Amino acid sequence: MLLGKTLRSTTFKLALISIGVFGAVVIVLFGYVYWSTTNFVLSRSDSAIEAERAALRNIYDMSGREGLIQAIERRSSTASFKGSVYLLGDQLFSRVAGNLKEWPVVKGAGQWTEFKSDVLGQKTDQALYRATWETLPDGFHLLVGKDISDLNRFATEIYAALAFAIFLIFVLAAVASVNVTRRTVGRIESISTTSRAIMETGLGRRIPIRGTQDEWDHLAQNLNSMLERIETLMGEVKQMSDNVAHDLRTPLARMRGRLEKASIEKNAPDHDQSLISETMADLDDVLRMFSSLTRISQIEAVNQTAAFRIVNLGEIATEVADLFDAAAEGKGGRVEVFGDKTARVNADRDLLFDAISNLVDNAVKHGREGGLVSIRLDHKGGEVILSVSDDGPGIPSEEFGHIFKRFYRLERSRSMPGNGLGLSLVAAVARLHGASIKLIDNAPGLRVELRFPFIDSIGDTTYGRSAASAA
Amino acid sequence: MLRCNNQTNLEMEIVRRALRRVLVIEDDAETAQQIVDFLTARGYEADLAVDGDEGVRLGEAGEYAVIVVDRMLPFVDGLAIIQHLREAGVVTPALIISALGEVDDRVRGLRVGGDDYLVKPFAFVELLARIEALARRSATVVKETVLRVGDLELDLVSRTVNRGGRDIKLLPREFQVLEYLVRHEGHVVPRTMLLEKVWDLHFDPSTNIIDVYVGRVRRKVDGEQTYPLIHTIRGVGFCVRAPR
Repeated sequence: MLLGKTLRSTTFKLALISIGVFGAVVIVLFGYVYWSTTNFVLSRSDSAIEAERAALRNIYDMSGREGLIQAIERRSSTASFKGSVYLLGDQLFSRVAGNLKEWPVVKGAGQWTEFKSDVLGQKTDQALYRATWETLPDGFHLLVGKDISDLNRFATEIYAALAFAIFLIFVLAAVASVNVTRRTVGRIESISTTSRAIMETGLGRRIPIRGTQDEWDHLAQNLNSMLERIETLMGEVKQMSDNVAHDLRTPLARMRGRLEKASIEKNAPDHDQSLISETMADLDDVLRMFSSLTRISQIEAVNQTAAFRIVNLGEIATEVADLFDAAAEGKGGRVEVFGDKTARVNADRDLLFDAISNLVDNAVKHGREGGLVSIRLDHKGGEVILSVSDDGPGIPSEEFGHIFKRFYRLERSRSMPGNGLGLSLVAAVARLHGASIKLIDNAPGLRVELRFPFIDSIGDTTYGRSAASAA
Repeated sequence: MLRCNNQTNLEMEIVRRALRRVLVIEDDAETAQQIVDFLTARGYEADLAVDGDEGVRLGEAGEYAVIVVDRMLPFVDGLAIIQHLREAGVVTPALIISALGEVDDRVRGLRVGGDDYLVKPFAFVELLARIEALARRSATVVKETVLRVGDLELDLVSRTVNRGGRDIKLLPREFQVLEYLVRHEGHVVPRTMLLEKVWDLHFDPSTNIIDVYVGRVRRKVDGEQTYPLIHTIRGVGFCVRAPR
């Protein structure tokens, strides 16, 4: 199956195309090498034959037919002319002199002919000769040639070597491309198998990593961390819709029950009145939860920085402390602001007020009976730090990672009023303001720290635009 | 008119009579009818426009104390209607009702000439309180230096409070809260309106902190007294009134 996939894969097709192009170039190149090599050797032997014929013609011109016959006889019997053939024939091509028995089958005068023949006085096998001939002025014919068997063998050997090289190149290229393709297809296959498995079974699977640190591993790692993120988000979404469902169902069920009971029973008007106001209060809770949710997602989704101004963080903190002091008073405690009350940040006053209120509200609610909630303002390392701390029981540090999740509530505070959205809102507001948020064990109690980027120029603050006009 | 008692003030009543017509531009039939019924029951004369064209026509022709516009109407944005009316020279205060509640939407609404902004869903008493606040805007503002309700006296110059001759110590913010409530004596002041006017905050806090805060003011003002002045209107806000 993998082989079939390998052969069908795009990589393999690309490899085939490049092998084809490369192979064609190699064949043409090798063909040229073969052609030019044999041609070169052949033309050298041809010019030697031409020179010999010209020399014999010269002898004929100088000393006539007798001289030529003598020269041919002498050459035929001399060892240094071994490998050459000479033949002088009469008008009817009958042999007159030379080392060939008879006139071979040849093409017209002046043309090259290759033929096999025996040589007189030599006990060798038939050899391949290449020759040319001319008609002398007296009507006789002179043929001069050379043994080209070696040449032929040389050409054959070159041909074989080149052909073998081409064959080898093709085989190696094919093997390499099948291998590379198979590797690629294998890695892609493992990714696509995993994705199919994820589609079918859920987000729990991960793409195997081979530890080769190559691009495939990097791809797999990236895809895995993407899956990780998606899984977390899906988990949060699920958790959230579960919580919405739960937090909605509880008051809705209460309201339904109440209304159902009222529709069956005949009640006194003042009883109906209290039923109506209780139901309205429950509905208000549900609506408040919805508006908190949409508020958080709007802060997160839209970059709401239109209302950003330089605001005095100290004044906001004092304002919040003043507001919540009334609530803390009910528990015998107090809320106080410490540190630099002139600290300024670039912020949306409403959102910041809401966020700090939530922090202080939490601190007052979960703090010690009669305890102190302190808001501290500080400059450190180019940042403005606002921290809200209480001296209550605090929260276990293993919960630190969870409490910014929407609807997350500690087991012990499930019975308290609230919807678990406060800190999510704080986190969203902090992100919008480029502030980091950190939870610290206050021992005892919890400290929440917001670190805002510091503003250098202290511009005109717009804080308190008409805040004092109550009329 | 939303009064949390039946005390009347003849002079103010005359001023308000001319300002008792309200134009409601709202496409949702049930909501529109509820608003009209509620306003009519409180002595207002309410005209209803179910789409933008009718709204513009009525708004240009009629003399209204307040125009209530739904933000999302079929084919037209409520803001466009206000803009159109403002360009046509209509200065009637406009209250925008919207299901979009965020700060940016509010700012845009107020920028085109809206005078107040209320987020759906709302309590009718809050709608009424806001309509009244807008209607009063055009009525004469009496400059006073001392405000009185029952045996409570607020001196706006020295910023001191006494009840039945006994001084009450209030923090500056607490004084502002009390002042705002006393100025609207007999009317319901919604929580969000108090937050807006006293703290300049334009959101509905998720905590009940305003109730707690007003609760403290009430302890100082009403504690150990023969009758209470500050009353909580459940789910909505507060009201200052003296018994007859």
